[in-house]
Amino acid sequence: MMTTLLPKLNSDLGELADRVRRSLVHVSVGRRGSGSGVVFTSDGLVVTNAHVVSGGRDRNSQTSEFQVTMPGGTTVKAVLLAKDDGIDVAVLKIETPGDKTPEIFPIDMGDSRSLRAGQWVMAMGHPGGVAGAAVAGIVIGAGPDLPEAPGSGRDWVAVDLALRPGHSGGPLVDHHGRLIGISTIMAGLDVGMAVPAHVIEEFVAKVVAGDFGGGGDSVLV
Amino acid sequence: MSTVLPDLSDALADAVSSAADGLVRVEGRDRLPATGIVWDAEGLIVTSHHVLERDENIKVGFQDGESVAAELVGRDPSTDLALLRTSKRGSSVPAWAEADSLRVGHLALALGRPGASVRATMGIISVLGQAWRTPAGGPVDRYLQTDTVMYPGFSGGPLVDSQGRFVGLNTSALVRGVSITVPEPTIRRVVQDLEKHGSVRRAYLGIGAQPTRLPDALAKELGQETGLLLVSVEPGSPAEEGKLFLGDTLVTLGESPVRHMDDLFNGLDGERIGKSLAVRIIRGGQLVDLTVSPVSHP
Repeated sequence: MMTTLLPKLNSDLGELADRVRRSLVHVSVGRRGSGSGVVFTSDGLVVTNAHVVSGGRDRNSQTSEFQVTMPGGTTVKAVLLAKDDGIDVAVLKIETPGDKTPEIFPIDMGDSRSLRAGQWVMAMGHPGGVAGAAVAGIVIGAGPDLPEAPGSGRDWVAVDLALRPGHSGGPLVDHHGRLIGISTIMAGLDVGMAVPAHVIEEFVAKVVAGDFGGGGDSVLV
Repeated sequence: MSTVLPDLSDALADAVSSAADGLVRVEGRDRLPATGIVWDAEGLIVTSHHVLERDENIKVGFQDGESVAAELVGRDPSTDLALLRTSKRGSSVPAWAEADSLRVGHLALALGRPGASVRATMGIISVLGQAWRTPAGGPVDRYLQTDTVMYPGFSGGPLVDSQGRFVGLNTSALVRGVSITVPEPTIRRVVQDLEKHGSVRRAYLGIGAQPTRLPDALAKELGQETGLLLVSVEPGSPAEEGKLFLGDTLVTLGESPVRHMDDLFNGLDGERIGKSLAVRIIRGGQLVDLTVSPVSHP
């Protein structure tokens, strides 16, 4: 007997994807590469992976040139505020000159410290250049003791969904569309690893405060 | 928005939590630990044969954080199952669901405990088939395949239904590239054999065989179109002692016709060991009746 459960579920999934997509941006680094990013604050901070922006600095110059394509299709310039290769997080600020200010929808923040194995998650990004694609799965586990997690002792969120190049830097959200991490690497074809939201929040807070005292791999650009 | 998605998410996480007590970490190889299932409150643990790369110095870690030494009771490579005995008493035993309660398309979770806590992947029941034999010849009650991801260290862990009930034991070793679950009735049978004998007993003849078409006249006379052509006879084996020769075609074992390899496997269960067994073969176009005495599979 069919119930109305699946149509309801589908309707909610569509609505959730539409909502998260408003905070999903495309980050491109000249001609050197691109990835996804998340609108983090209403004043235009965008977070992505450090490895997405790492091609952005010419060996011979200090200029960094980034374009951020907003969900509505507007492309704006952005500057790299800071990145940390150790946690693979970078913070960009989009330029919002005068009347061309794009609409900015910062993502809702979730709690990545109390994730449960089995809970539902969705990742959005631009895999293979396909804009705003969604994949869903569940949390395999979170924390520092995950098999095949790179970097000993680092916090990760492992998810059973298929991340692909181009997902990097994009949002991983919970069932309310709240950010719990950013998609970072694949660990096998059907397992993705995300940097947890709390790691990102701590880094952004440091960037905003201008505080990098002994910050390891952090670079204030 | 409705509450369907949060409800689904919570229900999945609840199913994982409720199953956690029944999952243990099994340390029996040099690299990543694998998973096991609490079988009873007396300390028995079932796990995968292939994750135990040694017979001794095996450790089992429980949900409460306790880690204890485990003794290998026995293993059955043909179903990729192994049984461990620990001194841990009073563990809560997981609730098992029958595979019959599942349907293709149902959500299912694969769980593992390669570290301290329980990990989960989700998928659906892909195939729910009939009894089958593993490539190693082990009889399994149902063919159960899911599209769950076998995360590293998940072998030996359970497939869990939407209510957190255990359905079987997952292994990535029985069939390459797909997630296969060994259902509970098979586990129960193997556990009984391992407890009693330390191994799953199978009768052994010492032959290699392949199906072959019978000549028309004999096929009509016997009422079967195929038999098994003997392509090897091991020296000193029950087959050699029973005067079976290379090139004979086996057509009957005991009372039963032998048409396919499965008929041979089915005819050589543990009950046949040490007992006389009538076999009928075709040699030089003639039917010949012989007697063999299978031994325990080496």
